[in-house]
Formats: sequence, structure tokens, C-alpha cells
Amino acid sequence: MTNSMNEALKAIEIFNPMVEEIDERQVKVSVGNDKLVSVLETLKSKGYSHLSLITCVDWIDDGQLELVYILFSWQDGGKFIVTTRIDRNNPKFVTVKEIWPVARFYERELHEFFGVEFEGNDDMKPLFLELWDEMPPLRKDFDPREYSKSKFPDRKYEKDVIKEAKIFRGEIDG
Amino acid sequence: MKQSQSQMPKKDFFAPVKAWKFLGKKPVTIEVPNKVKREASERYRGFHINDWSKCIGCGTCAKVCPTDAIKMVEVPGLVQEDGKLPQRPVIDYGRCSFCALCVDICTTGSLQMTREYIHISDDPEDYIFMPTEKGIKAKRGLYEHGKAPLGWVKDKDSDLLDLERVLMEMVEPQERVRSFIEIVKGYSKEQAMKEAARCVGCGICTYTCPAHMDIPQYIESIYNDDLEEGLRWLYRTNPLSMVCGRVCTHRCESVCAIGNRGEPVAIRWLKRYIIDNVPLEEYSRILDINPEKKGKSIGIIGSGPAGLAAAYFLATMGYDVTIYEAAPRPGGVMRYGIPKYRLPDEALDKDIALIEALGVRILTNMKVGEDISFDEIAKKHDAVFLATGFGLGRSTKVPGTDHPNVKQALPMLKMIRDFLRGDGPKPPVPKKLVVIGGGNVAMDISRSMARLQMIEYGKVDVHTASLERTYEEMPADMDEIEEALEEGVKFYPGWGPIEIVIENDEVKGVRFKKCIRVFDENHRFNPQFDEEKQIFLEADMVIEAIGQAPDYSYLPQELQEKLEFFRGRIKTNEYGQTAIEWLFAGGDIVHGPDIVHGVADGHAAAKGIDLYLSSKE
Amino acid sequence: MGEVKLFFGPNHPGMHGNFSVHMYVEGDIVKRARPLPGFLHRGFEKLMERRFWYSNIALIPRICVPEPDINEACYAMAIEKIAKLDVPERAQWIRMIILELARMANHLMAVGGIGGPLGLYTASHWGMADRDRILDIFEAISGARIYHMYIVPGGVRKNITPKIEEMIWKFLEYIESRFDDYENLIFKNRIVHSRLKGRIILTREHALEMGVTGVGLRATGVPYDVRKVDPYLFYDKVDFIVPTATDGDAFSRVYLKFQELKQSVRIIRQALEKMPQSDKVNVPISKGSALRHRVPKGMAYAHVESARGEYGFFVVSDGKNKPYRVAVRGASYPQGLYGIEKYLPGTRIEDVPVWLATMDVCAPEIDR
Repeated sequence: MTNSMNEALKAIEIFNPMVEEIDERQVKVSVGNDKLVSVLETLKSKGYSHLSLITCVDWIDDGQLELVYILFSWQDGGKFIVTTRIDRNNPKFVTVKEIWPVARFYERELHEFFGVEFEGNDDMKPLFLELWDEMPPLRKDFDPREYSKSKFPDRKYEKDVIKEAKIFRGEIDG
Repeated sequence: MKQSQSQMPKKDFFAPVKAWKFLGKKPVTIEVPNKVKREASERYRGFHINDWSKCIGCGTCAKVCPTDAIKMVEVPGLVQEDGKLPQRPVIDYGRCSFCALCVDICTTGSLQMTREYIHISDDPEDYIFMPTEKGIKAKRGLYEHGKAPLGWVKDKDSDLLDLERVLMEMVEPQERVRSFIEIVKGYSKEQAMKEAARCVGCGICTYTCPAHMDIPQYIESIYNDDLEEGLRWLYRTNPLSMVCGRVCTHRCESVCAIGNRGEPVAIRWLKRYIIDNVPLEEYSRILDINPEKKGKSIGIIGSGPAGLAAAYFLATMGYDVTIYEAAPRPGGVMRYGIPKYRLPDEALDKDIALIEALGVRILTNMKVGEDISFDEIAKKHDAVFLATGFGLGRSTKVPGTDHPNVKQALPMLKMIRDFLRGDGPKPPVPKKLVVIGGGNVAMDISRSMARLQMIEYGKVDVHTASLERTYEEMPADMDEIEEALEEGVKFYPGWGPIEIVIENDEVKGVRFKKCIRVFDENHRFNPQFDEEKQIFLEADMVIEAIGQAPDYSYLPQELQEKLEFFRGRIKTNEYGQTAIEWLFAGGDIVHGPDIVHGVADGHAAAKGIDLYLSSKE
Repeated sequence: MGEVKLFFGPNHPGMHGNFSVHMYVEGDIVKRARPLPGFLHRGFEKLMERRFWYSNIALIPRICVPEPDINEACYAMAIEKIAKLDVPERAQWIRMIILELARMANHLMAVGGIGGPLGLYTASHWGMADRDRILDIFEAISGARIYHMYIVPGGVRKNITPKIEEMIWKFLEYIESRFDDYENLIFKNRIVHSRLKGRIILTREHALEMGVTGVGLRATGVPYDVRKVDPYLFYDKVDFIVPTATDGDAFSRVYLKFQELKQSVRIIRQALEKMPQSDKVNVPISKGSALRHRVPKGMAYAHVESARGEYGFFVVSDGKNKPYRVAVRGASYPQGLYGIEKYLPGTRIEDVPVWLATMDVCAPEIDR
């Protein structure tokens, strides 16, 4: 871990994070729901100001969604993967668009794909999908194959490929 | 941080005009198709070819395909045989992404890609093919049909199979030859899961396994670390999995798809791993056998592999089963033939305990014809299954074989096992031993005696001579031969005995002549010798291990007359039913030559008996 | 004059890929703009969860057409982080060569492509023709021109032969001989100057606020480059500089790409020289066939400096033979969505395609 990462970790110690080192410049920090925004703000003030990604992982067996915020420092290349778990059946969280304006779109995307509501971010129009009539598709219980089977016909081929192959091989005359 | 503030170029009226110099140059673009044929690169991922003579229809290409473009389709005219399934891949080029993963994972290397990349057609039916040696017929392509050069082929870097086995730990030769401890240590969980990950789940092995075990299924259970499910898969077809996990002839491994280019999956050791790691107490809960009682009883003669297997399957169908065993302990060849270092008693006990727990009665010390008459058994039961095996040894009958120090392998092996479990006296241990024979029984007796010699005298002096002229020709497993060599057994392949030399009524050795041919053109056993070339091997004991024979003396004469025999074996239908409808037979007296065939026969006979008795109602 | 609603895209010659912007204009000034992504949404993240670790290499390059290799590299590097794989040294060098060649292919298309919105089509043709030479190299290395599927978890799929190395050396020599032509045709061109110079200025504050990376940020004088700040592969073992500019205008953004071409040539030369001879270019993800490779439980984020900025893959494994979750950070996500909404207004209509082109708004990586 780099020095500045150690310093940043010290600064967020008061929020009782669960820290897991992934490699020498990458650390996963898991915190409680109410601490997350403070942790993000602290890290931002410590130089981890670049928001690489906001995403979500559906832990269906635990009944939880894990929100993931990846912060990056342009000073020393340190990365913090800050995560918190929320209830899967009532997925609500607060927006961070005041800290990073682009978060508005990430949050809109997560709403569309995971069904997470972000308090304070009311622009929740679907971003990518048109006329979507199913559950949020990146949830683990959504089956894309079943969905596409129900929506699109399968291609049926008429050709006798076996006969054709046998003709190619010279086994029969064609 | 290194950086440079870039100096922006100034505008210049004339600079862009310099581009006019290209007016006179040859264009770099080419017209395709037709005008210029641009050959693709050597590794190009174009349309497939599939060498049907190499393809085994394993379907691994279809499994790895990320776009579901490959379907396996059965080809009429191809027949199912050992190591091959009668199906070939059909590729939908409307879906194919030309990633070549199918090529890289192909178990045989039959599937490859060509450099053909043009195929133009407005008919959607033209985008599905079953590639052959000639590839597909590309319309308006670069090459004539079948002439496209190879493009992407698998090499050692891009190979997606794992060709190397997880090493099985074994006791070192110097150590194991000093005792009868089990040689193979068995896989740990981590090792088993790694080995299971090598399997591609094609199921080619299932066809070849005499018992048609659900091999891919139980290997997948191991991969998913679900041993209970694995156990259920094992017991669907083989109640002697513990035994088979140790001493099966593993013909499945010889046809394993991975074996085409690498070491086959260690199927036998994986089976053993499941059994070794599920406690016996859990069996009844996991297997959950609660058959409805049928109120009919079956008598089984012999408690070897076939007898026990039949008993298990009949019991799970709800029949009342009694086994009659002449020896003091059940198990037949597994108890008295196979040496302890390959199959410890405990392994067998575990399998038998489960069968007994199902309510099967095993009556030991009950020799049919002496302790109980066959007619009595026939009267008592609704059907009878014969599984008496090949219990008699064959002799070379050369001069001198009637000497008491010329022994038969089977009784010797039985004596050794009885001694080791404390049931009998110590067998005589010669200082110098000659074994005649090249099969697995010869290996068993050679290696057992080597151990006894080591314990008794501290050195091994076993000489094993066989007619077969090479190790490959010898019917024994290569593993067995190699391990015997490691343990100090000396082999003399290609020698046939002339006589046992006896002086002063004591065995002195054996004289051999050179064998130049074992089988004739018709693959019949018909050895020919070069009488000039001879050797003499010193010995104070000779053991013959050239094969076994059945003993039908317990069968009443009138029954024997009704049965049909072929080369000493009883002829039956596919369900083990003999010419006498209530009499079934299986195991060595029908098929041979190994345990798993016995299990398969037992299973078939159980089904046959069930059919027969159900139809009688 | 009142406000008029205009549609830019989804099919538009000035847009790379299908992307739509609804513009509300007064006169020829854009007053409001709304990005409408989704036309290229193919559900990659979901599809990846349903395929084997290895099979996904057929899928991921399709996320970005002009520079597919970054997807493969990020995916592979994230898995290698979780599984703690030791990738053979030669493979790492080969990956660097691939990534730099891909960057050059992308930049050639972008630098030449700027001719599109400006009407300077010679530049576009040159760019495409020279890019094709790189595609020839890719074809020789990986067997395909666009979707290489070459960088795999654990290394690369096949070794590079001396013949291919020779091909790369020759190409580098050739492309260097062309730099003056490009400079003369494009960057000394009066029309290009008057259309790009001092236009579509993005300040440093705005760039940082948006989270823009890549040349969009470096054109404002900030030397941020993932290759330098968070070196992956062997970028810390080669000598190169990060070109920057201070104007923050469209001209400097294009010109920086042109400068980066020259740096890529330097990097590839060094890589070819430093690359050790070895016949081992990959290690398996785990013991077993590709159908049953397993990655231990864990998660990791791996990012690279793509031609358009920071490009990353976030991969989660639950220990099974398929990824549990893969999330992609498209490099142009900030400017493509937030940027269009906030900073496109105020631009003239004819500058909109230039804005989108020089800010590298890439629809497929936003939609995924």
C-alpha cells in the first residue's frame, strides 16, 4: 500500500471500515450504509478525487445488493473500492451527485439495471432500455435466455446438413 | 512526472498542398471480391474444417462455444464404439463469432480453421454447415472447395485442455515391498477437485464402462464438491464402488477424450475419492433406499462381484435375497484373490456392509453340493443366480508340474490373504521363485511373494516368465508391470516352459524355450517356439498363473445338460438368463474377465430376474 | 427566433456508432442537449455472467470496436489480480505491444477521422489506410483484424514469431515516415486551424469536475495518464512522455493524439527490444480444462489508459467457473452523458460533431 493510502485509511478509521487489500495499490473498504457518504467525502479530500465507477453486485443468496464506488487518486495511483450492502428487497440509498456530478448517470443506470432508488436523485428515467417490461435485468434472478425466447423467434433451418456433409465427403452422390 | 508541453504547429498555406504528391502513387486499397484475392494470414480464423476420422463426437466444442453456434447432431451411418460417439458438430455461421475456442479445446485436434473468409449468399439456409475434411462449401470464396489452406490451429500455447493428471501419491517401492500396506494413498479434496476440473463431461467413458457408470455426472459432483450427489450417481449402477475405485481395470480411462492427446482423467481414483470421503453411517440417509417388499426370494450362488451386485440391485427392487458362499468370508475373488496391498479388507467390508444393511442374507461356509444341495436352493427361491466365478487354476502340464512345490496362483493368493488376516498358517516362502504367466494374476502373485521374501529374507528373488514377448503384449496392466519392476520382480517375456527340473525330489528350476509367436493369423492362441533357444531359471518353488477355469461340479447333471456352454462359459441372453428360465448366470462364468464386468452382469441379471418374475404374475 | 429541436443521430455520419443527442437550438447555438444512449446496449455485463471465464474473451472485445484490446487486457488483468496469477514476462511485453498498436489504430482513425466533420476527406482516407496496416499486424498475430480475442486471462493466446516482430518493426518505420505528411495535411492546414483552434474549449476545472480522463483532460495541462500514475504491465520499464497542452481546445486534443502516436512508436520499439525470448506466453487460470477453470472468491478493479482515457473492468468472482459480476467503466461515460448535457450547450451546431469526435464520445462503451 502506498503512503497516501495508509494515511487515507487512518482518516476513515473512525467509520469502522472492513479493509481488505487486493494488491499494492488497491484496497477494498466495506462500511455501513450510514457511513458511506462520509467515507467517500473523506477519501475525496485525501486525494482520491477521481470517481472511476459506481456499480452494484447482486448477492441474491444474502438478500443484499452491494453498492460499489471505485475511487482513484491521480497522485499515486491508489484505488479504493468502497462498498456497502443494502437490502435487496427494499433497495434504497442516497445520491452522491453532489460530490461527483457524473454520479447522476451511474445512479440512473443502477436504478435501471438493479432497481436501486437513490434519494435526492429524481432523474430516474430509463437510460438504456426501451419498453422494458421485466424486472431490472442485471439482478441475478433475471434469465435473459428465457426473456429472449419469449420475445424473439428461434431460427429454424430446413437444410439437411448431414446429407450435404456426406456429399462433401464423397460418401453419397449429390 | 515526465511530460511535455506540446508546441502547437503554426498554420502554413502550402503545407497541405504537399499531399498532392500521392496523386501518382499506387492506391493501397484492393477490390474484393473477384479482382484481387487477398490471402489471409497464417493464423487466420476463417471457416472450420473437421477431420471426421479423428473427430470422436465428444461435443466439447459445443460446450465451450460462447455463442451457442455449435450443435452436436447424430449422424446416421456412424456407429457408437469405444471412444467415439456417432455425432458431429454442426456450426451455425449466423451465430459463430470465429473465436476459435472450439479449435483450441478440441480433444482430438480434428477441428481446425482455414484461411477461407469469404462466403456470400442471400439464402439464410446457406449459413449452417456440418464441417468435414473439406470444410464448408464457401460461395464465391477465395479457394476451390476443400482447397483452403489451414489457418488457426491449436498449438501448445492456445490449448485449452489440461493434459496432465494430478499426480497420485504412492508409497515408494522400497517401502511398500516390505509390507502389504495399500500402495495408492488416494486424492485429497483439493487434488480431487483439480483432477475433476480436467473432465470435459463428454460421457464417452459411460458407453465403454461395462457397468455404464454415470462417470461425467459423478466427476461433476466432485468438481462441485457435492459428494452426496456423487455417491448417489455411483450407486445407481455400481454397488461395489469402493472396490472398483481401487482395482477396476478402468477401461473408461483408456477411451477418455482427454487421453487422445494427454493423460486421461483419473476416473478410478476420483471414484475412490467419493467413497473414501463419505462415512458409511451416512449411506442409508444419502441413498435413501426404501423399496416396497415384493415377497419373492432369490438365491444367489457366490458372493463375488456379480453375486453381490445382483444382490444389491435385487434388494433395492424389494426382493428377498440370500447368498450362498462356500468360503468363510464373503467377497470371492475380492476377498481371496486380489492382494491386500491393492484392496484392503476394510474397503470390501464397507461395500458388503451396505448390501447386508439392505437385508441381504449372506450364508458363508455353505458350499453348494456339500453343505446344501442345489435342488434345495432351487426349491426355496423363485429364481437363482449363478455367480461362482473361475475358481480353478490352469496348469501348463509340462513335466514336473505335479511336484508339490509347483503351485497354482489362486490357492497361494488365498493362503497369503488368509495368513495376513490371521485366518490361516503362513504360506511357504521360497528363496528363489519362478512365476509362469503374464496376466494380472501373475503380477499379483509375483508381487505378493516378493513382499513375503522381503519380510522373510530381506531380498526379492522373483522371476516371472511369460509367453508374450513384450510388456505391451502381456495382458497385465502396464501399471502393474511397472510397479512390479520397481519392487524388484524380474521379467522374462517371450519364454515358454519345457519342464520343471527336479533333482532329488526337489525343484531346482524351470527350463524355457523361446516363444516366437503367441497368436496366429486368426488371433487364436497358438504359440510357436524356437526350440534351439533355451534358458534355465533356478527356483525352489514354481507358481503357475496362466489362467483360471470354472468349476461346475455343484450343478446337477440334468441341469448341466440343459445349459448351453461356449468355451467353458455359460451362454445367456442380455439379461443373464440361461436356457432354463428361472436360472440366471453372470460374472466370470459368463463374461469375464474383471470385477466391473461382474458388476454389470449382476445389474443386468437383477433387471432380468425382475422382468422374469413380473411377467410370471 | 424560437427554440427548435434537432436530432443528432442515432445514425449520423459525424457520430461513431449509434448514439443520439436531442438538441434544442436557437439560431445555430445549442441551448440545451440531452444524450440518448442505449442503441448499442447488448447486455454484455449480463452475458458475461453466464459464460465461462475463458469463453468471455469472445464477447468482450465487442464492447469497443476501434480499440477492442483494452477490454481483453482489463478483463484479464482483473482476473489475474483476483486469482494472483503470475503471467509470463514475455506475455506482458506482448500485451504492451498489442495495446500500443491498438492505441495507434484508434488514434489514426481519430486523427484522420477529424477530416470527417471538417470535410477534409483525404485525412480520413489516410488514417484508415494506415490503420489497415496495423490491422494486418493484428491479423498475423491473432488471426483476426478487428476482434482479436488475443489477450486472455493468464497471458496471451499465441506467441509472436520473429516474422511478426519483423512486420511490426517495418510498420513502425513506415508510420514514422508518414508523420510529416499528417502534420502538413492536417495540423498546418488553415481550415483545420480556423475550425478547431480556440474552439470547444474545456477548462481544467470543468474537465476535473466531469471526471474526464485521457486527452480531454491532458489538453488542459494536466498530465494524468494511468500508464504513468498507476503503471500496469511494464509501463514503468519503458521510457516515454505524456504530451500535454494548455489550450484545452479541440485542436490541442487532436494534436495530442497525434503526439501520442509518436510515443506509442517509442514504447513498441522498447518493448520489442526488451521482450525476452521464451516459448511460454500464458498460464492457465487454474488446473483443469477451460470449461472448468475457477477463479477464487474475490473482487478486483483493473484499468488501463485507453485511447480515450481511463478504461476499467470491475470483476467479482464467487469461486465458480463463471464470473459473478463484471462491470465495465467506459472511458467516455462522463463526457458522453454528463458532458453532453452540461457542456454541449453553447456550442454551434456545426461544432457538435467535432465536440463529440474530439471528446471521444464512444457509444458502444457507454451502452455496453
